[in-house]
Amino acid sequence: MKTVAYPKHTAAARGLACCHVCGKVEAVAEEKCARCGAPLHLRKPDCLQRTIALTIAAALLYLPANLLPIMTVDTLTGGDDPSTILGGVVTFWNTGSYPVAVIIFVASVIIPILKIMTLLILCVAARYNRRPKSATKVYRLTEVVGRWSMVDVFVVAILVSVVQLDSLMSIRPGPAALAFSGVVILTMLAAHTFDQRLIWDVTRPFEDEP
Amino acid sequence: MNDPSSNGASTDELIACPDCDALFRAPVLEHAQRIDCPHCRCRISEKKRGTLQRSAAFASSAAVLFVVAHFFPFVSIEAGSRGNQTALFGSVGALYANGSPGLACMVAIFIVAAPAAAIIGILYVLLPLLMGRRLIGAKAVCRFVFDTLPWNMIEVFMLGILVSLLKLSKLATVHLGISFWAFAVLILCVTASFSMIDRLDLWRRLEAVGGKPEGAAVS
Repeated sequence: MKTVAYPKHTAAARGLACCHVCGKVEAVAEEKCARCGAPLHLRKPDCLQRTIALTIAAALLYLPANLLPIMTVDTLTGGDDPSTILGGVVTFWNTGSYPVAVIIFVASVIIPILKIMTLLILCVAARYNRRPKSATKVYRLTEVVGRWSMVDVFVVAILVSVVQLDSLMSIRPGPAALAFSGVVILTMLAAHTFDQRLIWDVTRPFEDEP
Repeated sequence: MNDPSSNGASTDELIACPDCDALFRAPVLEHAQRIDCPHCRCRISEKKRGTLQRSAAFASSAAVLFVVAHFFPFVSIEAGSRGNQTALFGSVGALYANGSPGLACMVAIFIVAAPAAAIIGILYVLLPLLMGRRLIGAKAVCRFVFDTLPWNMIEVFMLGILVSLLKLSKLATVHLGISFWAFAVLILCVTASFSMIDRLDLWRRLEAVGGKPEGAAVS
Protein backbone atom coordinates (compact mmCIF):
# COMPACT_ATOMS: atom_id res chain seq x y z
CA MET A 1 0.00 0.00 0.00
CA LYS A 2 1.31 3.44 -0.83
CA THR A 3 2.27 5.70 1.98
CA VAL A 4 -0.46 8.08 3.03
CA ALA A 5 0.04 11.18 5.10
CA TYR A 6 -2.21 10.60 8.09
CA PRO A 7 -3.50 13.66 9.97
CA LYS A 8 -1.18 14.71 12.78
CA HIS A 9 -3.54 13.92 15.63
CA THR A 10 -4.16 10.30 14.62
CA ALA A 11 -2.64 7.18 16.08
CA ALA A 12 -1.61 6.12 12.58
CA ALA A 13 0.62 9.20 12.20
CA ARG A 14 2.69 7.91 15.14
CA GLY A 15 2.83 4.35 13.84
CA LEU A 16 0.32 3.21 16.44
CA ALA A 17 -2.64 0.99 15.63
CA CYS A 18 -5.86 0.53 17.57
CA CYS A 19 -6.73 -3.18 17.77
CA HIS A 20 -10.05 -3.85 16.00
CA VAL A 21 -11.05 -6.43 18.55
CA CYS A 22 -10.01 -5.22 21.99
CA GLY A 23 -9.14 -1.54 21.40
CA LYS A 24 -5.59 -1.70 22.75
CA VAL A 25 -3.25 0.86 21.16
CA GLU A 26 0.06 -0.65 20.12
CA ALA A 27 2.93 -0.09 17.70
CA VAL A 28 1.85 -1.42 14.31
CA ALA A 29 5.28 -3.04 13.92
CA GLU A 30 4.19 -5.66 16.46
CA GLU A 31 1.87 -7.15 13.78
CA LYS A 32 -0.22 -8.99 16.36
CA CYS A 33 -2.10 -7.52 19.31
CA ALA A 34 -0.34 -8.42 22.54
CA ARG A 35 -3.65 -8.58 24.42
CA CYS A 36 -5.99 -10.53 22.13
CA GLY A 37 -3.83 -11.81 19.27
CA ALA A 38 -5.74 -10.11 16.44
CA PRO A 39 -3.65 -8.88 13.49
CA LEU A 40 -2.76 -5.17 13.72
CA HIS A 41 -2.82 -2.66 10.87
CA LEU A 42 -3.10 1.12 10.59
CA ARG A 43 -6.07 0.79 8.22
CA LYS A 44 -7.80 -2.37 7.04
CA PRO A 45 -5.71 -3.69 4.12
CA ASP A 46 -6.96 -2.86 0.58
CA CYS A 47 -10.26 -1.90 2.13
CA LEU A 48 -11.53 0.31 -0.71
CA GLN A 49 -10.85 -2.30 -3.41
CA ARG A 50 -12.41 -5.08 -1.36
CA THR A 51 -15.47 -3.05 -0.42
CA ILE A 52 -16.07 -1.99 -4.03
CA ALA A 53 -15.61 -5.56 -5.30
CA LEU A 54 -18.06 -7.00 -2.77
CA THR A 55 -20.59 -4.22 -3.41
CA ILE A 56 -20.49 -4.75 -7.19
CA ALA A 57 -20.96 -8.50 -6.69
CA ALA A 58 -23.98 -7.73 -4.50
CA ALA A 59 -25.41 -5.37 -7.12
CA LEU A 60 -25.11 -8.08 -9.81
CA LEU A 61 -26.80 -10.69 -7.60
CA TYR A 62 -29.59 -8.21 -6.92
CA LEU A 63 -30.93 -8.76 -10.46
CA PRO A 64 -31.69 -12.52 -10.25
CA ALA A 65 -32.87 -11.94 -6.68
CA ASN A 66 -35.68 -9.73 -7.96
CA LEU A 67 -36.40 -11.29 -11.36
CA LEU A 68 -36.60 -14.97 -10.35
CA PRO A 69 -39.40 -16.40 -8.20
CA ILE A 70 -38.71 -16.44 -4.45
CA MET A 71 -41.28 -19.13 -3.71
CA THR A 72 -43.91 -21.32 -5.33
CA VAL A 73 -47.23 -22.27 -3.74
CA ASP A 74 -48.59 -25.67 -4.81
CA THR A 75 -52.27 -26.09 -4.04
CA LEU A 76 -54.72 -28.89 -4.68
CA THR A 77 -56.68 -26.86 -7.17
CA GLY A 78 -54.51 -24.07 -8.45
CA GLY A 79 -51.30 -25.90 -9.34
CA ASP A 80 -48.10 -23.83 -9.33
CA ASP A 81 -48.11 -20.20 -8.34
CA PRO A 82 -44.60 -18.76 -8.41
CA SER A 83 -44.10 -15.25 -7.05
CA THR A 84 -41.21 -12.80 -7.01
CA ILE A 85 -40.32 -10.44 -4.15
CA LEU A 86 -42.20 -7.55 -5.74
CA GLY A 87 -45.10 -9.89 -6.56
CA GLY A 88 -45.31 -10.79 -2.87
CA VAL A 89 -45.43 -7.10 -1.93
CA VAL A 90 -48.24 -6.50 -4.42
CA THR A 91 -50.19 -9.50 -3.07
CA PHE A 92 -49.90 -8.19 0.50
CA TRP A 93 -50.99 -4.73 -0.65
CA ASN A 94 -53.99 -6.03 -2.59
CA THR A 95 -55.18 -8.21 0.28
CA GLY A 96 -55.16 -5.20 2.57
CA SER A 97 -52.07 -6.01 4.66
CA TYR A 98 -50.56 -2.57 4.11
CA PRO A 99 -48.08 -2.56 7.02
CA VAL A 100 -46.64 -5.93 5.98
CA ALA A 101 -46.41 -4.80 2.35
CA VAL A 102 -44.49 -1.71 3.47
CA ILE A 103 -42.15 -3.70 5.75
CA ILE A 104 -41.29 -6.19 3.01
CA PHE A 105 -40.91 -3.44 0.41
CA VAL A 106 -38.56 -1.41 2.61
CA ALA A 107 -36.54 -4.42 3.81
CA SER A 108 -36.22 -6.22 0.49
CA VAL A 109 -36.18 -3.45 -2.10
CA ILE A 110 -35.26 -0.08 -0.62
CA ILE A 111 -32.64 -1.08 1.97
CA PRO A 112 -30.48 -3.21 -0.39
CA ILE A 113 -30.49 -0.53 -3.11
CA LEU A 114 -29.70 2.25 -0.63
CA LYS A 115 -27.02 0.14 1.01
CA ILE A 116 -25.26 -0.68 -2.26
CA MET A 117 -25.35 2.99 -3.33
CA THR A 118 -24.21 4.23 0.07
CA LEU A 119 -21.22 1.87 0.14
CA LEU A 120 -20.10 2.93 -3.34
CA ILE A 121 -20.55 6.62 -2.48
CA LEU A 122 -18.64 6.20 0.80
CA CYS A 123 -15.74 4.58 -1.06
CA VAL A 124 -15.53 7.53 -3.43
CA ALA A 125 -16.28 10.13 -0.77
CA ALA A 126 -13.59 8.79 1.56
CA ARG A 127 -11.11 10.88 -0.42
CA TYR A 128 -13.05 14.13 -0.79
CA ASN A 129 -15.19 14.31 2.26
CA ARG A 130 -16.20 17.64 3.75
CA ARG A 131 -18.70 16.34 6.29
CA PRO A 132 -17.10 13.36 8.03
CA LYS A 133 -19.52 13.43 10.95
CA SER A 134 -22.58 12.75 8.80
CA ALA A 135 -20.68 10.26 6.64
CA THR A 136 -19.83 8.29 9.78
CA LYS A 137 -23.47 8.35 10.84
CA VAL A 138 -24.56 7.09 7.42
CA TYR A 139 -21.97 4.31 7.59
CA ARG A 140 -23.12 3.29 11.08
CA LEU A 141 -26.71 3.22 9.85
CA THR A 142 -25.93 0.99 6.84
CA GLU A 143 -24.11 -1.39 9.14
CA VAL A 144 -27.06 -1.68 11.53
CA VAL A 145 -29.92 -1.68 9.03
CA GLY A 146 -28.47 -4.04 6.42
CA ARG A 147 -29.21 -7.28 8.23
CA TRP A 148 -32.95 -6.56 8.30
CA SER A 149 -33.07 -7.26 4.55
CA MET A 150 -32.82 -10.92 5.45
CA VAL A 151 -36.44 -10.88 6.64
CA ASP A 152 -37.92 -12.01 3.32
CA VAL A 153 -35.58 -15.00 3.13
CA PHE A 154 -36.64 -16.00 6.65
CA VAL A 155 -40.32 -15.63 5.73
CA VAL A 156 -39.79 -18.09 2.87
CA ALA A 157 -37.84 -20.45 5.13
CA ILE A 158 -40.60 -20.40 7.77
CA LEU A 159 -43.41 -20.87 5.25
CA VAL A 160 -41.57 -23.73 3.53
CA SER A 161 -40.95 -25.59 6.76
CA VAL A 162 -44.42 -25.00 8.24
CA VAL A 163 -46.73 -25.34 5.23
CA GLN A 164 -46.25 -28.99 4.33
CA LEU A 165 -49.79 -30.35 4.19
CA ASP A 166 -49.08 -33.17 1.74
CA SER A 167 -51.24 -32.78 -1.34
CA LEU A 168 -53.49 -30.08 0.08
CA MET A 169 -50.93 -27.30 -0.04
CA SER A 170 -47.17 -27.01 0.01
CA ILE A 171 -44.70 -24.17 -0.50
CA ARG A 172 -41.37 -24.57 -2.27
CA PRO A 173 -38.52 -22.03 -2.21
CA GLY A 174 -37.41 -20.43 -5.49
CA PRO A 175 -33.90 -19.60 -6.70
CA ALA A 176 -34.31 -15.94 -5.73
CA ALA A 177 -34.25 -16.85 -2.03
CA LEU A 178 -30.62 -17.93 -2.23
CA ALA A 179 -29.66 -15.08 -4.57
CA PHE A 180 -31.20 -12.58 -2.19
CA SER A 181 -29.44 -13.97 0.86
CA GLY A 182 -26.28 -13.68 -1.23
CA VAL A 183 -27.00 -9.97 -1.69
CA VAL A 184 -27.47 -9.46 2.05
CA ILE A 185 -24.36 -11.45 3.01
CA LEU A 186 -22.18 -9.66 0.43
CA THR A 187 -23.33 -6.19 1.50
CA MET A 188 -22.76 -7.11 5.16
CA LEU A 189 -19.23 -8.25 4.32
CA ALA A 190 -18.68 -5.08 2.28
CA ALA A 191 -19.77 -2.87 5.17
CA HIS A 192 -17.55 -4.87 7.52
CA THR A 193 -14.54 -4.53 5.19
CA PHE A 194 -14.89 -0.76 4.89
CA ASP A 195 -12.67 1.16 7.30
CA GLN A 196 -14.60 4.13 8.69
CA ARG A 197 -11.37 5.86 9.71
CA LEU A 198 -10.71 6.62 6.02
CA ILE A 199 -13.62 9.08 6.22
CA TRP A 200 -11.66 11.15 8.74
CA ASP A 201 -8.22 10.79 7.17
CA VAL A 202 -8.78 13.74 4.82
CA THR A 203 -9.98 16.06 7.56
CA ARG A 204 -7.99 18.67 9.39
CA PRO A 205 -6.42 17.99 12.78
CA PHE A 206 -8.09 19.02 16.02
CA GLU A 207 -9.77 22.35 15.50
CA ASP A 208 -9.91 23.02 19.21
CA GLU A 209 -6.30 22.04 19.82
CA PRO A 210 -4.53 24.47 22.17
CA MET B 1 -5.24 15.10 28.71
CA ASN B 2 -5.67 15.21 24.98
CA ASP B 3 -1.99 15.42 24.30
CA PRO B 4 -0.57 11.90 23.93
CA SER B 5 3.02 12.96 24.52
CA SER B 6 2.41 14.28 28.03
CA ASN B 7 2.99 11.39 30.36
CA GLY B 8 -0.07 11.23 32.57
CA ALA B 9 -0.65 9.36 35.79
CA SER B 10 -0.14 5.61 35.78
CA THR B 11 -3.88 4.98 35.63
CA ASP B 12 -4.13 6.69 32.25
CA GLU B 13 -4.01 4.67 29.09
CA LEU B 14 -3.64 5.42 25.40
CA ILE B 15 -6.87 5.34 23.44
CA ALA B 16 -7.42 5.67 19.71
CA CYS B 17 -10.92 6.46 18.50
CA PRO B 18 -12.27 3.58 16.39
CA ASP B 19 -14.12 6.07 14.16
CA CYS B 20 -11.56 8.80 13.45
CA ASP B 21 -8.34 7.33 14.90
CA ALA B 22 -7.65 10.36 17.11
CA LEU B 23 -5.03 9.47 19.72
CA PHE B 24 -5.41 10.63 23.30
CA ARG B 25 -4.90 9.63 26.92
CA ALA B 26 -7.81 8.86 29.19
CA PRO B 27 -8.06 7.55 32.72
CA VAL B 28 -9.20 3.97 33.27
CA LEU B 29 -12.86 4.34 34.10
CA GLU B 30 -14.26 3.90 37.59
CA HIS B 31 -17.99 3.65 38.20
CA ALA B 32 -20.50 5.53 36.05
CA GLN B 33 -18.15 7.38 33.74
CA ARG B 34 -17.73 7.56 30.04
CA ILE B 35 -15.19 8.54 27.42
CA ASP B 36 -16.09 10.46 24.28
CA CYS B 37 -13.67 11.07 21.45
CA PRO B 38 -12.36 14.67 21.70
CA HIS B 39 -12.20 14.91 17.90
CA CYS B 40 -15.37 13.35 16.48
CA ARG B 41 -17.34 13.18 19.76
CA CYS B 42 -18.40 9.55 19.37
CA ARG B 43 -18.89 7.41 22.46
CA ILE B 44 -15.85 5.21 23.02
CA SER B 45 -16.32 3.62 26.39
CA GLU B 46 -18.94 3.71 29.10
CA LYS B 47 -18.80 2.10 32.47
CA LYS B 48 -21.68 1.33 34.76
CA ARG B 49 -21.78 -0.57 38.00
CA GLY B 50 -21.78 -4.37 37.90
CA THR B 51 -22.45 -4.67 34.20
CA LEU B 52 -20.49 -7.88 33.74
CA GLN B 53 -22.52 -9.62 36.44
CA ARG B 54 -25.76 -8.47 34.82
CA SER B 55 -24.52 -9.43 31.40
CA ALA B 56 -23.63 -12.91 32.66
CA ALA B 57 -27.06 -13.21 34.30
CA PHE B 58 -28.84 -12.32 31.07
CA ALA B 59 -26.62 -14.71 29.11
CA SER B 60 -27.47 -17.54 31.53
CA SER B 61 -31.20 -16.97 31.08
CA ALA B 62 -30.62 -16.79 27.34
CA ALA B 63 -28.97 -20.22 27.45
CA VAL B 64 -32.06 -21.77 29.07
CA LEU B 65 -34.45 -19.94 26.74
CA PHE B 66 -32.38 -21.00 23.75
CA VAL B 67 -33.01 -24.67 24.51
CA VAL B 68 -36.75 -24.10 25.00
CA ALA B 69 -37.01 -21.94 21.89
CA HIS B 70 -35.26 -24.40 19.61
CA PHE B 71 -36.55 -27.78 20.72
CA PHE B 72 -40.19 -27.18 21.65
CA PRO B 73 -43.07 -26.74 19.15
CA PHE B 74 -42.99 -23.33 17.59
CA VAL B 75 -46.15 -22.98 15.55
CA SER B 76 -48.70 -25.52 14.46
CA ILE B 77 -51.14 -25.06 11.62
CA GLU B 78 -54.39 -26.77 10.75
CA ALA B 79 -56.23 -26.74 7.46
CA GLY B 80 -59.25 -28.99 7.33
CA SER B 81 -58.22 -32.35 8.72
CA ARG B 82 -54.53 -31.86 8.00
CA GLY B 83 -52.10 -30.40 10.49
CA ASN B 84 -48.38 -29.80 10.88
CA GLN B 85 -46.27 -28.60 13.76
CA THR B 86 -42.68 -27.49 13.72
CA ALA B 87 -39.92 -26.84 16.21
CA LEU B 88 -37.27 -24.32 15.22
CA PHE B 89 -34.52 -26.90 15.33
CA GLY B 90 -36.62 -29.33 13.30
CA SER B 91 -37.30 -26.69 10.68
CA VAL B 92 -33.65 -26.91 9.59
CA GLY B 93 -34.15 -30.62 8.92
CA ALA B 94 -37.50 -29.97 7.26
CA LEU B 95 -35.95 -27.42 4.92
CA TYR B 96 -33.15 -29.81 4.06
CA ALA B 97 -35.60 -32.66 3.43
CA ASN B 98 -37.76 -30.48 1.20
CA GLY B 99 -34.88 -29.96 -1.17
CA SER B 100 -33.67 -26.53 -0.05
CA PRO B 101 -30.29 -27.15 1.59
CA GLY B 102 -29.35 -23.50 0.96
CA LEU B 103 -32.18 -22.14 3.08
CA ALA B 104 -31.50 -24.83 5.68
CA CYS B 105 -27.91 -23.53 5.89
CA MET B 106 -29.07 -19.91 6.32
CA VAL B 107 -31.35 -20.83 9.22
CA ALA B 108 -28.78 -23.18 10.73
CA ILE B 109 -26.05 -20.52 10.69
CA PHE B 110 -27.97 -17.32 11.48
CA ILE B 111 -30.62 -18.65 13.85
CA VAL B 112 -29.05 -21.70 15.50
CA ALA B 113 -25.25 -21.63 15.30
CA ALA B 114 -24.47 -17.90 15.64
CA PRO B 115 -26.69 -17.26 18.71
CA ALA B 116 -25.56 -20.52 20.32
CA ALA B 117 -21.91 -19.57 19.80
CA ALA B 118 -22.53 -16.08 21.21
CA ILE B 119 -24.31 -17.35 24.34
CA ILE B 120 -21.98 -20.25 25.12
CA GLY B 121 -18.90 -18.20 24.26
CA ILE B 122 -19.75 -15.20 26.41
CA LEU B 123 -20.62 -17.46 29.37
CA TYR B 124 -17.30 -19.28 28.93
CA VAL B 125 -15.54 -15.93 29.18
CA LEU B 126 -17.68 -14.10 31.76
CA LEU B 127 -18.43 -16.72 34.44
CA PRO B 128 -14.79 -17.59 35.18
CA LEU B 129 -13.84 -13.91 34.85
CA LEU B 130 -16.31 -12.98 37.60
CA MET B 131 -14.53 -15.51 39.83
CA GLY B 132 -11.18 -13.99 38.92
CA ARG B 133 -10.06 -16.68 36.49
CA ARG B 134 -9.46 -17.12 32.82
CA LEU B 135 -10.02 -20.49 31.20
CA ILE B 136 -7.86 -21.90 28.40
CA GLY B 137 -8.49 -20.08 25.13
CA ALA B 138 -10.77 -17.49 26.72
CA LYS B 139 -9.21 -14.70 24.65
CA ALA B 140 -9.71 -16.61 21.39
CA VAL B 141 -13.31 -17.38 22.40
CA CYS B 142 -13.93 -13.74 23.26
CA ARG B 143 -12.59 -12.62 19.86
CA PHE B 144 -14.74 -15.23 18.13
CA VAL B 145 -17.86 -14.12 20.01
CA PHE B 146 -17.53 -10.49 18.91
CA ASP B 147 -16.55 -11.45 15.35
CA THR B 148 -19.66 -13.59 14.89
CA LEU B 149 -22.05 -11.20 16.63
CA PRO B 150 -23.25 -9.43 13.43
CA TRP B 151 -24.32 -12.81 12.00
CA ASN B 152 -26.69 -13.44 14.87
CA MET B 153 -30.04 -12.58 13.26
CA ILE B 154 -32.65 -13.77 15.73
CA GLU B 155 -34.43 -10.41 15.86
CA VAL B 156 -34.69 -10.33 12.07
CA PHE B 157 -36.06 -13.86 12.20
CA MET B 158 -38.71 -12.70 14.69
CA LEU B 159 -39.94 -10.10 12.19
CA GLY B 160 -39.99 -12.87 9.58
CA ILE B 161 -42.12 -14.98 11.93
CA LEU B 162 -44.65 -12.17 12.43
CA VAL B 163 -44.92 -11.60 8.68
CA SER B 164 -45.37 -15.29 7.92
CA LEU B 165 -47.96 -15.63 10.71
CA LEU B 166 -50.02 -12.95 8.97
CA LYS B 167 -49.63 -14.81 5.70
CA LEU B 168 -50.49 -18.15 7.29
CA SER B 169 -53.52 -16.91 9.16
CA LYS B 170 -55.23 -16.41 5.80
CA LEU B 171 -54.52 -19.99 4.73
CA ALA B 172 -55.02 -22.03 7.87
CA THR B 173 -55.63 -21.95 11.61
CA VAL B 174 -52.41 -21.09 13.42
CA HIS B 175 -51.52 -21.93 17.01
CA LEU B 176 -48.48 -20.41 18.71
CA GLY B 177 -46.35 -22.86 20.69
CA ILE B 178 -44.44 -22.26 23.90
CA SER B 179 -41.20 -21.75 22.03
CA PHE B 180 -42.60 -18.68 20.26
CA TRP B 181 -42.71 -16.84 23.58
CA ALA B 182 -39.37 -18.27 24.67
CA PHE B 183 -37.88 -16.98 21.44
CA ALA B 184 -39.27 -13.49 22.02
CA VAL B 185 -37.71 -13.32 25.50
CA LEU B 186 -34.50 -14.88 24.19
CA ILE B 187 -34.07 -11.91 21.86
CA LEU B 188 -34.44 -9.48 24.77
CA CYS B 189 -31.94 -11.42 26.91
CA VAL B 190 -29.29 -11.69 24.19
CA THR B 191 -29.64 -8.01 23.29
CA ALA B 192 -29.49 -6.94 26.94
CA SER B 193 -26.49 -9.16 27.65
CA PHE B 194 -24.39 -7.81 24.80
CA SER B 195 -25.44 -4.17 24.99
CA MET B 196 -24.18 -4.04 28.60
CA ILE B 197 -20.66 -5.14 27.81
CA ASP B 198 -18.09 -2.39 27.45
CA ARG B 199 -15.50 -4.03 25.23
CA LEU B 200 -12.54 -2.00 26.47
CA ASP B 201 -13.41 -2.84 30.06
CA LEU B 202 -13.96 -6.54 29.31
CA TRP B 203 -10.59 -6.92 27.59
CA ARG B 204 -8.77 -4.97 30.28
CA ARG B 205 -10.15 -7.31 32.94
CA LEU B 206 -9.47 -10.36 30.82
CA GLU B 207 -5.85 -9.27 30.57
CA ALA B 208 -5.63 -8.45 34.28
CA VAL B 209 -6.66 -11.92 35.47
CA GLY B 210 -4.19 -13.69 33.20
CA GLY B 211 -1.16 -15.46 34.63
CA LYS B 212 -1.84 -14.72 38.30
CA PRO B 213 -4.75 -16.72 39.73
CA GLU B 214 -4.79 -14.72 42.97
CA GLY B 215 -5.20 -11.41 41.15
CA ALA B 216 -8.79 -10.63 42.01
CA ALA B 217 -8.96 -7.44 39.94
CA VAL B 218 -12.67 -7.96 39.40
CA SER B 219 -15.08 -5.80 41.30
